[in-house]
Amino acid sequence: MTKLTRRDVLAGASALGLAGLAPRGASASGSMTAAIYPGTWEEAYRAVVAPALKKASGVDVAFDSLFAVDQVAKVRAARGVPPFDCFVLDPGPAAAARAAGLFEPVDSSKLTNAPKVPAGLITRDGVTCNAQVVGIAYNPKKFPTAPKSWTDLFQSPFVERLGLTGFQTTFGTVSLIEMCKAFGGSEANMEPIFTELKKAVSKVAAVAAPAAMPGLFQQGQIDVMYTNTNTVAILKGRGVDIAFAAPASGAITFQTKLHIVKGAENVANAHKYIDVAISAEVQNALQRSPYNMIPINKDVTYVDTLDIKSIDELAKMVTHDWTRINPQRAAWIERFNKEITK
Amino acid sequence: MAAAAATTGAAPAGDKVDWRLATPLGLTYLVFFAAPFLILLGISFYADAEQTRLGLDSWLKFYTDRFYLKVIWDTLKLGIFAVIATTLLAYPLALVYRAASPTWQRVLLFIILMPLLTSVVIRTFAWIVILAREGVVNQTLMGLGLTATPLNLLQTELGLVIALTQIEMPLMLLPLLTIMNQMDQNLVDASRALGASKWRTFFRVILPLTLPGWIAGATLVFASATTAFISQSVIGGARLVYLPSLIWQQSMVVYNWPFAAVASLTLLFTVLAGIMALSWLGRFARTT
Repeated sequence: MTKLTRRDVLAGASALGLAGLAPRGASASGSMTAAIYPGTWEEAYRAVVAPALKKASGVDVAFDSLFAVDQVAKVRAARGVPPFDCFVLDPGPAAAARAAGLFEPVDSSKLTNAPKVPAGLITRDGVTCNAQVVGIAYNPKKFPTAPKSWTDLFQSPFVERLGLTGFQTTFGTVSLIEMCKAFGGSEANMEPIFTELKKAVSKVAAVAAPAAMPGLFQQGQIDVMYTNTNTVAILKGRGVDIAFAAPASGAITFQTKLHIVKGAENVANAHKYIDVAISAEVQNALQRSPYNMIPINKDVTYVDTLDIKSIDELAKMVTHDWTRINPQRAAWIERFNKEITK
Repeated sequence: MAAAAATTGAAPAGDKVDWRLATPLGLTYLVFFAAPFLILLGISFYADAEQTRLGLDSWLKFYTDRFYLKVIWDTLKLGIFAVIATTLLAYPLALVYRAASPTWQRVLLFIILMPLLTSVVIRTFAWIVILAREGVVNQTLMGLGLTATPLNLLQTELGLVIALTQIEMPLMLLPLLTIMNQMDQNLVDASRALGASKWRTFFRVILPLTLPGWIAGATLVFASATTAFISQSVIGGARLVYLPSLIWQQSMVVYNWPFAAVASLTLLFTVLAGIMALSWLGRFARTT
């Protein structure tokens, strides 16, 4: 019978302990967690970005699927021990996250693809990974002539088929601001759009949560909405009768950025992840169906399913200053709630 | 019957149940319910969204604004409607179930339980397909020539109550079926033999005897309908504001946590008030 001494047991235990530690240490240097929007974004990043990152630098990325507001709320609630290393955010939630000091600075010298991205898209707090273009989406079978301006949405026959959504998302907020400008208002004076909303609300086909809009369009509950080209391309890919129309005052554009979370565990890997996400190869794959994301890498030639032709077109579109929008947004949301509810 | 159950179920003297058996669950509740509840209560007493200053501002804003008072009332009303609708549909079914043969009882029970086997998210989205302008209901009505233009069912309180009634139905039925099956048939027969009409027998005998089951079912339906965030936001849409969506909006979009805390506590009190009202009805129950 083999005799087991205390010393053997200790040696064995410490070897086991070391063995237990070793792979964990290795995986910590080769992994990270990134927040990602549910739906197309998650599918795209799992299918394209994750394998590309693994191939380029051996880093494994795990995704935490969350909407922008949920990402910010989760990091705020975690109070300094963030559940993921990287955000993906639209300007609205990004401004809130910036104000709460949730961003770790990005070191652009660590991004090999930085020179391929137009100036201004990489800042100290984030790197643009995708451009979004917002305008009018309509059903061309129901409406042979497209709505031409934001004001058309509030007139018959479009208003009866319109799906309204409020200020809780970036695309909803910027669309309503542009509608307000079309009715003579501005970011500082939102009175005209609230007047119009009040008149329209009893006529419109639906007032719903932003995430519910594509489903309502698909079910024929609404035939006109304001949304981004990405949603239009996805619905079109599913066989829905839908077309994109840029309003006369111009389509709106804003950037979706990747940000490193303050206090993130894997800052170096987060840089690698961002670098891969903006690479020409990945950006080229992400612009194709079924992802339809507008590329921001200068080396990528736009495919014709995107509703815009080139990266230069983005520069001519309408943009917004979120530092002016955000302080007013809570009040707009409250007013929207109060005035449109039954 | 409850009294009888209590006497037979009670532990024999000298063999007292050790209260320490409840410690694991008790501690879990202390850590994961009582502590967060106190934090929530604390947050509600901050006056501003940045949580820099203490004050009753959030409470005052919520309880002096007619809009928010209406949100409370609408949430309560939704729970009441769901309870009424499930009751009206559940009682006849429960009576049929009671009269059915054991084989049919099993079939019925399976049909009743089936919705519980599907996720609430899927059941909710299925209702969009059914209630939408080009959905099953409207296609049928228009096909039959009963209406020329599609009815607006989605995004209305009626549509939401219809969907919630189906979604919450098993919660009402299960306690009701259990108590129906335990009810003494002799009492029903005696009532009929003594000349009471079917309705009189129902209201004077069956209803008081099955009240405890109904109260259990109604409590579950009320609590679940008033807090059904997914169904409320997906089927109800943005024009119908209820407390759960208001809490989500204030905490996740506006980041006004004190205000969200006030709304959360209000929802808790609203549900509690409903449950207390229902258990007050319990005094009208007849157990034998």
